[in-house]
Amino acid sequence: MPERITEHAPAEREFTVAQRSQGQLVLRRFLRHRLAVISLVVLLAVVLLAFVGGALWRYDVATLTGDYSQPPSWGHPFGTDAVGHDSFAQVMRGTQISIGIAVLVAVFSTLIGTIWGATAGYYRGALDTVMMRISDLILTLPLLAVAAVLGHNVGGSWWLIALVIAGLYWAYVSRVARGVVLSLREKEFIEAAKALGAGDARIIFRHLIPNALGSIIVNATVLVAIAILLETALSFLGVGVRPPDTSLGLLVSSAQTAVSTRPWLFYLPGLFIIVIALTINFIGDGLRDAFDPQQTKVRE
Amino acid sequence: MLAYAVRRVLVSMPILIAATFLVFVMVALSGDPLSELRTRNPPPPPRTFELEAQRLNLDEPLLTRYWGWLTGLFRGDFGPSTQSTLQIGPELFARFVVTFRLIALAMLVALVLAVIVGVISAVKQYSGTDYTFTFAGFLFLSMPSFWFAILLKEAGISFNNAVGSQVLFTIGDSSVFVEGGTWAQFTDILGHMILPTISLALLSFAAWSRFQRASMLEVLGSDYVRLARAKGLRQRKVMTRHALRTALIPLTTVTALDLGAIISGAVITEIVYQWRGAGSFLLESIDRNDVYAVSGWLLVAATFIILFNLAADLLYAVLDPRIRYA
Amino acid sequence: MSIRRSRVTRAAALVAGAALVLSACGGGGGGAQGETFAECESNPNTCNSAEAGALRDGGEVAFALEKNISNWNANSAEGNVLETGLVFQSVLPKAFVTQPDLTPAMNENLLVSAEQTNSNPQTLVYQIQPDAVWSDGTPITATDFIYNWRTQNGRDCPDCAAATTSGYDQIRSIEPAGNGKAFTVTMSTPYTDWQALWSGDVVIYPAHIAAQQGDINTPRGLAAAYEYFGRTVPNYSAGPFQIEEFQNNTAVVVTPNPRWYGEGPNLDRLIFRIITEAAQEPPALANDEVQVIYPQPQIDLVQQVRDIPGVSSFIGMGLQWEHYDFNLENPFLAEKPLREAMFTAVDRQGIIDATVGQFTDKAEPLNNHNLMPQQEGYTDVVSQTGYGNGNVDAARQVLSDAGYRMQDERLITPNGRPVPPLRIRYTVGNQIRQDQSELFAQQVAPLGVTVDVEPTDDLGGTLSEGDYDIMVFAWVSDSFPFSGALQLWSTGSESNYGGYSNPEVDRLLAAAASSTNADQARQQLNESNRILAEDAYVLPLYQKPTFIALYDDIANVRNNSSLDGPLYNVEQWGIRAE
Repeated sequence: MPERITEHAPAEREFTVAQRSQGQLVLRRFLRHRLAVISLVVLLAVVLLAFVGGALWRYDVATLTGDYSQPPSWGHPFGTDAVGHDSFAQVMRGTQISIGIAVLVAVFSTLIGTIWGATAGYYRGALDTVMMRISDLILTLPLLAVAAVLGHNVGGSWWLIALVIAGLYWAYVSRVARGVVLSLREKEFIEAAKALGAGDARIIFRHLIPNALGSIIVNATVLVAIAILLETALSFLGVGVRPPDTSLGLLVSSAQTAVSTRPWLFYLPGLFIIVIALTINFIGDGLRDAFDPQQTKVRE
Repeated sequence: MLAYAVRRVLVSMPILIAATFLVFVMVALSGDPLSELRTRNPPPPPRTFELEAQRLNLDEPLLTRYWGWLTGLFRGDFGPSTQSTLQIGPELFARFVVTFRLIALAMLVALVLAVIVGVISAVKQYSGTDYTFTFAGFLFLSMPSFWFAILLKEAGISFNNAVGSQVLFTIGDSSVFVEGGTWAQFTDILGHMILPTISLALLSFAAWSRFQRASMLEVLGSDYVRLARAKGLRQRKVMTRHALRTALIPLTTVTALDLGAIISGAVITEIVYQWRGAGSFLLESIDRNDVYAVSGWLLVAATFIILFNLAADLLYAVLDPRIRYA
Repeated sequence: MSIRRSRVTRAAALVAGAALVLSACGGGGGGAQGETFAECESNPNTCNSAEAGALRDGGEVAFALEKNISNWNANSAEGNVLETGLVFQSVLPKAFVTQPDLTPAMNENLLVSAEQTNSNPQTLVYQIQPDAVWSDGTPITATDFIYNWRTQNGRDCPDCAAATTSGYDQIRSIEPAGNGKAFTVTMSTPYTDWQALWSGDVVIYPAHIAAQQGDINTPRGLAAAYEYFGRTVPNYSAGPFQIEEFQNNTAVVVTPNPRWYGEGPNLDRLIFRIITEAAQEPPALANDEVQVIYPQPQIDLVQQVRDIPGVSSFIGMGLQWEHYDFNLENPFLAEKPLREAMFTAVDRQGIIDATVGQFTDKAEPLNNHNLMPQQEGYTDVVSQTGYGNGNVDAARQVLSDAGYRMQDERLITPNGRPVPPLRIRYTVGNQIRQDQSELFAQQVAPLGVTVDVEPTDDLGGTLSEGDYDIMVFAWVSDSFPFSGALQLWSTGSESNYGGYSNPEVDRLLAAAASSTNADQARQQLNESNRILAEDAYVLPLYQKPTFIALYDDIANVRNNSSLDGPLYNVEQWGIRAE
């Protein structure tokens, strides 16, 4: 609430500053990370372009324009493919779906992984062992390989692919969450909550998870980037998103022979993947610094 | 420590078995191994289908098939492949050897580069060099691996054309025939390894250099390094003797944990560069709905990952005197 | 011995051809690109020829093979793979070999003559070359032919999982004569495609080696030998080359067979380099890691290859043909007017322009279901129906004549039911078929029919389960078309996936396949195709193009779109002397 700060007399400022919430602090530190802020702006622009621009664009993703394999021009800023799809419409649709997959993966695996890891870390003992063995089971499998087996079977709808990736990735999150919770559960405020008679669920959801939120958010951000690349790899192997859905991965892998002959089909979707993943990685970096300031302030 | 290792291995067994069960069931339920035969024109006689179904135990219930496979493993039998001549066990072995040769070199290259770049970045934190390395690291982290591999291949061919001789190769792990002696063979293998190794190494390099930078920064900020400096030790000595040694320890764990990701990356590298490793074996088997081959693959890959993780844990204990396993 | 071709010598050889190459570049989408194949359009059987004197002594060529060889018994269901057949062109003999112009020609290296001497019962007489021997010196005799027949007739060896029994199951007896260098085949029922026996995708295996695996007069012995041939890399040969080395998953290496009884071979080493991804073949060719490639053409791949200096390429029209199939099990599609209207609305030329037409202007709408334009007897049976010309008005007329009407832009059947969305399916990852599916959907949309595009990763399963409304895929036709036709369109046949049934077609196909008069059989086949076309069950789209590319200094390699492939004359392959 910045207005309140300005309303107060200078003498009181010190006091109000000290009262800033954790969130404000994090935001402040994040804004100081210039690259992360620029990345956020770029990412928002890409998302806006994909969802709004894609919706307003004169061609639909399924439209067959009758212009075959045209290089970029005013009519088709990203060119067209062999059968006459407008590539701009395709890339916009691909971006929407790739982001959709990535967000779905991040949300689902973070939700499941956090609850799983926090529960295991909080109760410890036999429950912890059983739950973590299940996580281990998933962690022992090479992700891409299992996703390839599953992707081959579930058949290509974008949200199914997202569920497959999330169904494997939550185990990584659960490891992180458990680690954080293990260190937190010995802290005084948890003991205090226990002493006050708080139930287990309350402690986990009101005390442990909120305090582990920093690590979890950073992790989830990076997951978005990983999921986008994983979807691309799956599509390259032919077990990812399938038509009539499309994705950036599908677009770029179906154009893999076009590098020298119809470069716009190969480079433009690739560029979108890189821009999205890169900006998200920078944002993640900025968030990490913001949540965990000691790490960066070593020698200044 | 031995007891610890044995216990870890024993605990892993049920995990492995459960994992193969899941995969076995999934592949078995998903596709018909005989589907390729059905698209033939002229169609094979019905008797052919009967014989194939029998050979692949398709007439048995799923659980019986899985049990048969599992018990067969103890006799060293990986089960029948949809290709009757394919011996899954020896084939898996041969394929994994190829993959591990690729992975080992790529990991080595990635590790060496990551440590160098990570240390330089940390020591010269917030310098131009640091920013460049950071940006490059993030860029590689954000690039689809096959996209990069395809571009690298094009670059390799341009390089050959520029120098006017066939230095780099794009297909396979060696030429079918090499005229000349050991030296010629060596350069041939090297020429085949360079592009795939770079493709595979860059991804891990990017992640590990970031990691190395962070752990180096942490060490540099620690009290004992400050003490060493305060004692007046030379900068170089502080770095190598005190800081770097400690900062390397976490990297061993990360390297081990990333093995799964690297095997995944190798799948793509093998396709682009046409190496006949485990990755291409997996994809071929998935394509053929070859239940036994896919399950066998996962068993071997998962076993490797478990063993590698265990080795990393033990190594960690050796490197870090504070950690003891009982 | 072998001469590894260096980049430098190659570059020198290129300069001479450069002018020609440049002039050809402007041509755009034609078949031939580069000097080497310039004549192949007009002289498919003799283009790119070079006399032995114009060839370098020996030399090595690497040919890109798209699959590993996992089973060496090419006659078994499992080993019956195009790539295996290509390799065996250099090692194992056949009775007839399909030429580039798609006519079968007797294998003169192996046979002196092969003739039909009587039509009732159909009797065939074969004469084997007196000096034809296996690589261990054993003469090739009637015993070999008899052995191969017995593994494939479906009676003598029930455990031989043969790829095909057709024709072989109609042989009543084989009588050897003259030291086994001749034999007479008597058929129980006439078999029009008799030249397909011991030909096509079938090769001849040595009976004397089979006999080492068991008594080949018993089913068990036959099965044992059959299985042996599957798992063993052949160390025997009766072709111009013999297998020197098999590097599993990597390469098959063949070198000249010292006991070869024909002319040639010119090369002293031929390497089949296994490259399983077509996308990786152009870079390998550009980098001189392989010298001949034979992938499925695709717009970028063709263009990439055309951009490689010193490489010529040729697009041929093959024996595979793309088509749209209806599933007649769907009650709505069981009604002929709806099928008729959809086929009338489909614009085949438009589809070609948007797909294969972008790399070749040779592709044209195909108008027959069993014979290709190059083949004798090809007759246009589609044009008279008016299908495939994109005539939406005519399509609407068909529907309204039959009592269909439109309501809210949806088609309603005469009995008042709206036509539900139909699914067109294709093999996942096949870009051209995906495009063909989307175009189909777009072209029938004005009729009020919604068609959803849905890929499948199991074409065979989807077809045999009937899990589709419309399917786009390809059949491989054959230089011996009659028995194939019988299996594709007869009532109740397993390959007749859409459930088509027309007694008149059944009768004509059966007659055509069991005839001793090929001309008459072709008429019957065309007559059945005409009815088939009228019934709007399957609409042929176009002949699938095939694509071959090689370095200009390689002589005597030609496109051959049949199952025998470009290796049909492998003994003549050679490298031009500089």
